[in-house]
Order: sequence, then structure tokens, then C-alpha cells
Amino acid sequence: MEITFGVLLWAVRIAFLLLLYLFLFRAFGVLQRAMATERAQSKPLGTLVVERNPSRTPRVGERFALRATNAIGRDAGNDISLPDEAASARHATLEMRDEEWWIEDLGSTNGTLVNGARIEKRERVRFGDEIAVGRVAMRLER
Amino acid sequence: MTLLFRRPSEMRLLVWVAALAVTGSVAVAAAEKTAFDRSQLAVPVAFIVLAVGLHLFLVVRGFRGDQLLLPMAAALSAIGLVLVQRLASSLLANQLQWTLIAAGAFIATILIPRDLTALARFKWMWALLGVALLVSPLLPVIGREVNGARIWIGVGRVTFEPWEAVKILLVIFFAGYLEEYREVIAHPRRFGPIPIPPVPYLLPILAMWLFAMLVVVFEKDLGAALLFLGIFLAMLYLATGESFYTLIGIVLMLIGGVVVYHAFGHVQVRVDTWLKPFSEDLRFGAGYQIVQGLFALANGGLFGAGLGNGMPDRIPVVWSDFVFNAFAEETGFAGALALLALYLLFVYRGMLIALRAPTPFLQLMAGGLSFIVALQTLVIVGGNARLIPLTGITLPFVAYGGSSLVTNWILVALLIRVSDLTARVRGTE
Repeated sequence: MEITFGVLLWAVRIAFLLLLYLFLFRAFGVLQRAMATERAQSKPLGTLVVERNPSRTPRVGERFALRATNAIGRDAGNDISLPDEAASARHATLEMRDEEWWIEDLGSTNGTLVNGARIEKRERVRFGDEIAVGRVAMRLER
Repeated sequence: MTLLFRRPSEMRLLVWVAALAVTGSVAVAAAEKTAFDRSQLAVPVAFIVLAVGLHLFLVVRGFRGDQLLLPMAAALSAIGLVLVQRLASSLLANQLQWTLIAAGAFIATILIPRDLTALARFKWMWALLGVALLVSPLLPVIGREVNGARIWIGVGRVTFEPWEAVKILLVIFFAGYLEEYREVIAHPRRFGPIPIPPVPYLLPILAMWLFAMLVVVFEKDLGAALLFLGIFLAMLYLATGESFYTLIGIVLMLIGGVVVYHAFGHVQVRVDTWLKPFSEDLRFGAGYQIVQGLFALANGGLFGAGLGNGMPDRIPVVWSDFVFNAFAEETGFAGALALLALYLLFVYRGMLIALRAPTPFLQLMAGGLSFIVALQTLVIVGGNARLIPLTGITLPFVAYGGSSLVTNWILVALLIRVSDLTARVRGTE
């Protein structure tokens, strides 16, 4: 009787450790599956489609997938880099705030245009609006 | 019936949590008395009902997004309850009550701020509330001093550690502040490789640093100050990607540390017991706790003594300061590794939620909240293992303590809300 109780006690202790690891592996599996589906299903928050561009890159029709914040400018470090000499190195940011898109001019030389009108500092943009940076015009789409 | 399978992974993981909670409780109970008492099962069963209740609540609310955080938090809390039962069984009922309150706080956080992004608009209110809570232990009537640290407020028998709530308020405030001024702070003018920070926008940093140091001085709370600065530096880095700020922060912290070490006795004691706990005059004095903690760690070996079979009672205040060592002694290196892996998975999940969040405010908030869990685990486990000086930070979800448990469940609720919002905006499951 004494021995069986001792054996049971050890079995329970080992079971606890095993369960801990089983839970860990299951949780890891859930994470992996969640990451895979999130990657497969996720749409970008929005896209910028190039409408007009006198130079070759980016070509007309090219689509930039947008993140929560997007830096636009001539530098290669920007999320949306436009090799256009009329664009400033760090030209503007396009940001999602409270599920609305806002564009902000970062004091660029030639300004940022929304639907042909130069913006002051920060302005709301809606899907379908046209944003012009330098000589490149892009449309915000879903 | 369909309701049951709206969040299937969460449900399935909770089944494992239930098994873990019952097994742990049985192991501890059986080791204490040679005859097993069935009433002991009431606590894990109550806990399982609570966890499943929260799961069903999320299902009914139609929550999408993350299904991992709730079971992870439940698993850690279950381990916490098992350890309280093992180390301080007289406090078990207390801890279960706090778990109930924590579940209530979780539900309230899911329900109350209708619009999560609106939190950013009240950022200065959060900052003010945080400062008020932080100084509240110094007030005459409600402030309490426990074990030399004046960090508690109490009304009657109920005591609360306001610092715990402050860390979440801080993260929300920083996220709101940094969302607004990130552009200015992120692109400073440069003098060679050294950026010249836009001073007016960085004044809050210096204010925070000073404030943290004042907290150490007056409330004698080393851990809180460390967390305070850690959160701020991490969020500044998340927002700007400018490692130079982090460097400045760490240098300021080291200078502050040296000053505080020379100025205050209680800090000196902490550092001395860290450097040489086995010295003649400390071994049975101020260093007793850490020495016993190290013995417990060493005693654990690869698979431990088995739950309920070790001697963690030898460590003073083991249930709140040294739970990690107790767990490592009884489940060994294997158990300790699994526990750390749970935290790693939790933080990793939180950071993924942050990465995918649709607005900078939500990204920063989720990142900051995940970082709290990471830093707290690192600082307390590091302290317990004598890698860094010991501070009075709690091991998230596991250590005994109501304020910590309630805050951590609020933190989980916020992360789940960010994930739900992301899933709605992006149109994923």
C-alpha cells in the first residue's frame, strides 16, 4: 500500500511536468498556425497606385502596399522611395490614425498635393484621393 | 453548439490548462498529507470554471484575433495557484479571491473603453493619474510601509500596490505622446554620428528619469524605478529606432545607480548581498534569503525534487519574492525552462500583435505592454538567480499578490483588444 502511494505520487509529479511541456508545444503550434493564417489572409491596410510619372521608376500602375505608417521621399530609406528630383529626401508621411488615413508634409521643397491642391501641414485623405509627391501622382486605394 | 467552436484553439489549450491545474494541485496536496483530501480540488476547479467563463465571454462578444494569450495567462496563473498552495496554503483563498477580481478587471477592460484608440486622446490625464497613484503611498492615512518599502496603499484590510497600475498607465501615456511627437524625436539634426536631440520634446524623458529616482529615494522601491526607466527607454526605441537615446538613458541610469548606491543604505545592502551573499556577515543576515534561494536552485537538478517534495520553505517570503526558485527546485531545470519558455511565447505573441496593429498608438501600446512582461520576468528571475541585484518585482501571473495579478490580467485584455481590432481592420480571422 505504502509503495503504491509513493509510485502514484511520483506519477502525478511527472505528469505535471509532461503536461507543462505538452501545453507549451500545443501553444507553440497555435502560434505557428495563427501566424500562417494571418500572413495568408491579411490584406494591406491600403495601397498607393502610381497614376502618372514622367520618369521610368516607379512605373505607372505599380502598387505600394501600405503599413500603419509610411515614409515617402527620394531617399532609399523611405517605405515608398521615389527617385524623382522634384521630391525631397524625406518628403511626407502617410499614416493611419483612428482608422483614417492622414498625410503630412515634412516641409518638402515642392510640397505635397492632394487632389491637385497643395496641403498646409496635415490633411485627411480618403480612398480614391490622388496624392502627388514631386512629379509622381498616386491614388490611395483599398 | 456552434458557439463552442468560435475560438477553437483557445478552448483546446484551456483543456490542457485545466489538466495542468488539477495535476499540480493533486501533487501538492498528496505530498502534504499522506491521505488525499477531495476538498482540495475546489480551488483548481473554481479556477478552471473562471478561465472557461472568460473564454465564453470572448466568444459571446464575437472577439476575433488572438487565441493564445488567454490560455497562456491562465496557465501561468494556474501555476501561480499551485505554488501558493505549496508555499503558503493559508494565503490560497486570498489568491483565489484576487484571481476572481482579476477576471472582473479583464472583463471590464474588454467592455469599457468603447474605442481603444480614444485612450490616446486622454494621455495627459493618464500621466497625471499615474503620478498621483505613484505618490499615493507617501500620503499619511492610506500609505503603508511593508518590509522597509513604502509602496502600498491600504483601506482596512485590503492593500494595493499602486505601482502595478501605474506601469500600464505609463505605457498608454508614452504611446500617446510618442505617436504625436515621434516625427520630431525620431529625426534629430546630427553632429557627425551624434544626434542633437530636440530638447523641448525630450524634457519628459528627463522629468521621468528624475521622477523615477525620487521614487527610489522616498519609497525605497528599486524595482519600480528600474521598470519605469526600462519601459520608457524601450518605447522610445520602438517609436524612433534611435539607439542613441537608449544609450543616453542607460548612461543616465548607471550614473543614477552610482549616486543612489552611495547615498542610501538600503540600496547598498541590495548590491552587497548580490556581490557577496556568502560573506561571513551577510550569509545569515541580509543575504540569507538569496543564499537559501541559490541552494534551492542548485537542489533542483535536472528534473527537480517533484512538486511538494522540495524544501523551498527555507527561503524567507518565498511565495512572493522567490517563486521561481521554488518552482525550479521542485520541477528542476526542465520545469524552469518550460516556465521561461511560456513567458517567451507570451512576449513573442504580444510583439507580433504590436507589429500588425493598424495605428502607431496601438503598435506602441501593445509593444510596451509586452515589454513589461519581458522586463519583469528578466529582472526578477535575474535577481533570483543572482545575475543582477534582487529587486521587489513580481514574477508576472505566478507570484503571490493581488495587485500584480489584477494588473497583468488588464494587460492581457488590452493586448487581446488590440489583436481583435487588427483582425477587424485587416479582415482576417
